[in-house]
Amino acid sequence: MGILDLTSMGEPQVDVKREIIGQLERLQDEIPEYCYQCAKCTSGCEAHRLLELEPHRIIALLKRGLIDEMVNSDIIWTCMSCFKCWERCPQKIAPVEILFLLKNYAVALGKQIPGNYTAALQSVLSKGLIQDVKTISTRTGETKSRRDVGLPEITKPVDPVKFQALISKMAVEKI
Amino acid sequence: MTKKTLVFYPGCIMQTEQYSYEISLREILPVLDIKLVDVEGFSCCGEPLKSVNRMITLVLSARNIALAESRNLDIFTPCPICNLAFRECKNILDNDDKIKEKVNGFLAEEGLTYNGISKVIDLLELLYDIVGLDYIKKHVKKPLDLKAAVHYGCHAIRPSEIGRSDDSEEPRKIEDILEVLGVEAPWYPEKLDCCGGLLNMNLPETALTKTGEKLRSIQEQGFDLLVDICPWCHRQFDSKQKKSGETVAYSLNLPVVYLTQLMGLAFDIPWGKLGFNLNLSPVNTLVEGR
Amino acid sequence: MMKKPRIGVFVCHCGINISATVDVEKVKEYAKTLDGVAVSKDYKYMCSDVGANLIKESIKKDKLTSVVVACCSPRMHEHTFQKVASDGGLNPYTVEIANIREQCSWVHDDKKVATEKAKKLVEAAVAKARLLEPLITSSIEVTPNALVIGGGIAGIQAALEIAENGHKVYLVERTPTLGGRMAQLDKTFPTLDCSSCILTPRMTEVADHPNIELLAYSEVEDIKGSIGNFTVKIRKKARFVDADKCTGCGDCAENCRLKGRIIDEFNMGLNKRSAIYLPFPQAVPLIYTIDPNHCLMLTTGRCGKYPLCVEACEADAIDFNQKDEVITVDVGAIVVATGFNLLDPSIIPEYGYTHSPNVITTLEMERLINSAGPTKGEIQLLDTKEKPKSITYILCVGSRDETVCSWCCRIGCMTALKHLYLIREKLPDAEINLCYIDIRSYGKGYEEFYRTARNLNINLFRGRPSEVRPTKEGIIINVFDTITNKLFEIKTDMVVLVPAVTAREDAVELARKLKISTSSDGFYLEGHPKLKPMDTATGGIFLAGFCQGAKDIQDTVAHASGAASRALTILSKKELEAETYIAVVDEELCSGCGICISVCPYQAIELITEDDKKRAKVNEALCMGCGACTAACPSGAMQQRGFKDKEILSMIEVLSK
Repeated sequence: MGILDLTSMGEPQVDVKREIIGQLERLQDEIPEYCYQCAKCTSGCEAHRLLELEPHRIIALLKRGLIDEMVNSDIIWTCMSCFKCWERCPQKIAPVEILFLLKNYAVALGKQIPGNYTAALQSVLSKGLIQDVKTISTRTGETKSRRDVGLPEITKPVDPVKFQALISKMAVEKI
Repeated sequence: MTKKTLVFYPGCIMQTEQYSYEISLREILPVLDIKLVDVEGFSCCGEPLKSVNRMITLVLSARNIALAESRNLDIFTPCPICNLAFRECKNILDNDDKIKEKVNGFLAEEGLTYNGISKVIDLLELLYDIVGLDYIKKHVKKPLDLKAAVHYGCHAIRPSEIGRSDDSEEPRKIEDILEVLGVEAPWYPEKLDCCGGLLNMNLPETALTKTGEKLRSIQEQGFDLLVDICPWCHRQFDSKQKKSGETVAYSLNLPVVYLTQLMGLAFDIPWGKLGFNLNLSPVNTLVEGR
Repeated sequence: MMKKPRIGVFVCHCGINISATVDVEKVKEYAKTLDGVAVSKDYKYMCSDVGANLIKESIKKDKLTSVVVACCSPRMHEHTFQKVASDGGLNPYTVEIANIREQCSWVHDDKKVATEKAKKLVEAAVAKARLLEPLITSSIEVTPNALVIGGGIAGIQAALEIAENGHKVYLVERTPTLGGRMAQLDKTFPTLDCSSCILTPRMTEVADHPNIELLAYSEVEDIKGSIGNFTVKIRKKARFVDADKCTGCGDCAENCRLKGRIIDEFNMGLNKRSAIYLPFPQAVPLIYTIDPNHCLMLTTGRCGKYPLCVEACEADAIDFNQKDEVITVDVGAIVVATGFNLLDPSIIPEYGYTHSPNVITTLEMERLINSAGPTKGEIQLLDTKEKPKSITYILCVGSRDETVCSWCCRIGCMTALKHLYLIREKLPDAEINLCYIDIRSYGKGYEEFYRTARNLNINLFRGRPSEVRPTKEGIIINVFDTITNKLFEIKTDMVVLVPAVTAREDAVELARKLKISTSSDGFYLEGHPKLKPMDTATGGIFLAGFCQGAKDIQDTVAHASGAASRALTILSKKELEAETYIAVVDEELCSGCGICISVCPYQAIELITEDDKKRAKVNEALCMGCGACTAACPSGAMQQRGFKDKEILSMIEVLSK
């Protein structure tokens, strides 16, 4: 008994599917099983034309339990989080939220995290902010710091050690 | 007389580089009798890390809200992305005691507790619902005769399930405020399109293509300027306008300003005090002669 | 003084439905020990002929005064056993059912516990049976007339069928004419016969039928009474035109000062009419009507120097002093045929209905295609009046959508396919696109029609667009086609949205007047989705057509004939058995406080004064035995036959032991 994807020899990962769907129900009160593949999400997907993201296919693969196929692909990292798919879904499903959970799952499995995510995470870990405070340039090419333009000191975690302890602890937690 | 006092949560992008937003906010809100309280110790809202670990997002948001709650004030988040993170965090924690307990367990590390007593207010709610159009109108001294394209930014209006301050498909609050300033803001087909900003994390070239495409169609339709309210979008449209034009092979010269900067102009505040020198798009046309 | 009770207890096995979980033998033996029980028996199927004879013989042989049957729900077989008792010589209301199937064997696994519970249920039934009194059912005369609400094809069909059977029918229609939605259609699927060609003869039949009184431009105000005898108040709205004098010539509308200024609802706002109007040329009755919301005389009191319609009317039919008239009619049954609305697509803003005049609905297209419509059947763009080079249909706009209407409209797919066919005839070179999720062509001849449509050089996209974007270069639709796995950009001149269907905006208000229910979709709730599709929970009130749920014309007509036939089962009887379990007043106890009157939903109770003493009196014909008054009565004077306090309390006493 069982189902096998003969193109990839992949088998449905029922437990992972159940875990992800459970989290969605808990966080967003949404049930991907209701998807009937109308593809309204993909028709309006901001990332589709340039990056070939197909939200309706993400849901279809999730429903089949073919999770590995997705977490091993860069496609899940192309979402721009414009939220149009969630906003307009006639069955109240949020592909964008499913993509967040798939990316989380990929990270937890130790898959390669693309681009600047690692840098941003490091920055938040060490300083509490996703980037350093910048000296910026004016239209006429002068450079200005916050102080130069009359703004007060930035706000950031007072005790970086305690803050780091907090983040490292929760990073391994599940919802 | 102070109408409302709020904790000011600037968020990373505004306070590390989008100074013109912060400058103009700090300039116009006192005029409208809104007092901002700066609080030490805030961190990232967590939203940009949602792809990496949702739990980090949730706890960082809760941490910042908890900090504000210790002042017994509502919290003002001009950045729609931070605002979305906070509202989503509230939705989850206020409806699930188990998760709340768990999150508070982490927050105890820094001696903080999330209670859920502070409201989270974004720019549109503050200007439109708390200050009100009539009150803004009172302070308009120099109406602006301009035709603006409005960009709300995805996070300001979606997902409505989380609770946003304007309609997801037909938002009107920026247009209504602009009308009070004398600015005409007609509907245009690309109004709700994404700036691409969040792709900066891993696909900056594609992000610039999205930005350039939207700017091109706005410029082609003969608008005088583009008005926005999100530091991430503004970074794309204004700070990276030149690069995005190159990406789509189109010569862009569209002034892009924050709504708050435009309000300052209409209130007859000198443009030098509104951060206009920091816009990299050609905003000269808007301020020359003022 | 009542005779000492001799009760017979009959325990049914129901095959193994009961006996698998309940020890029937033990229940039978236990019953024998109860006070008043003369005999206790069991049988495999008590409802069979053999079982029935067993009871009948026992009634005679054992001189029983009442019968307890321990079996299935009284909803199933109470009536059966009442008849058995009656045949055996007992009053039918001396039968009490102990439900040991639905309320015991089917819901328990543990045989020991279930048997104990069954014993208790039987004991409670016996306790009540000791107190049961014979009841006499009176009969009420039936008013042999019918009321039909709604003059669309469903109302027309129902009215004609009832009238054909020799009964008087009052047909109430809210608008100035019969015809309803069907009158707005051009052709009908899948046979493509002309809608008005098949509809207007039926409308004329109604107008000419000696048994039908057509009350067009009228509304039901109030309904009292119950099955067999309803009293209905109907408001005949003033047309400000004398119906007897108006010849329908139309000179008034031609000359109206507001000619071409008022939105024409019948044409879905695609053109403008006068303040005095006939919705369409074949309207029945052929009488003009003045629109009181726009006519200058009626809104401002003056119309230039003088009203031009009055001058134009040679028949002298216009009468600005006409008043609404409220009439009362008596009927025995009511058929509700109030139809449906199309969803206003502007509540789905991303589909651009409010941003471009060339984004329209199917019903608007229907008027454009119709040769009697505002463009004389020419399909043209709403702004430039040019012929469209490309037309794109989007199905399921708001249908099958949890945020708008979760249900399928059941007419959208076929309507769109019909349009494609008609458009292809009129515009042989136009590009025609259709975006769908599923094509549901389930009726007789429908799939065949779909096959024909596929060969008309149309582009089918299996995918739902996310938005419709009117631009200067045309309307742009992006749709991901899940057949080819490609995103397509469609640049088109005209978009036709196929909107969801909803109940009428005032469906709930009418439901309140009729005391019927609506289902979660807003349509009227049928008695049973399969077995009583025309009934409501209120006796004597039946549903016809779309008001009960989405239907095409075929199904609507069948449903309406069914509703008529259901109504006739009442109208054809001279008398109906009155409700047996009605409320009765203990005159000694009643203080005349009147609380019962305020809670009675059927206006069946009145206060009368006898010997200087006020007391409540129940109208037996109106009482439906709902029990509201007996629960509300503070002194216990109001009692319900068959469910008297002492009877119910005796059962509670046993069960709480």
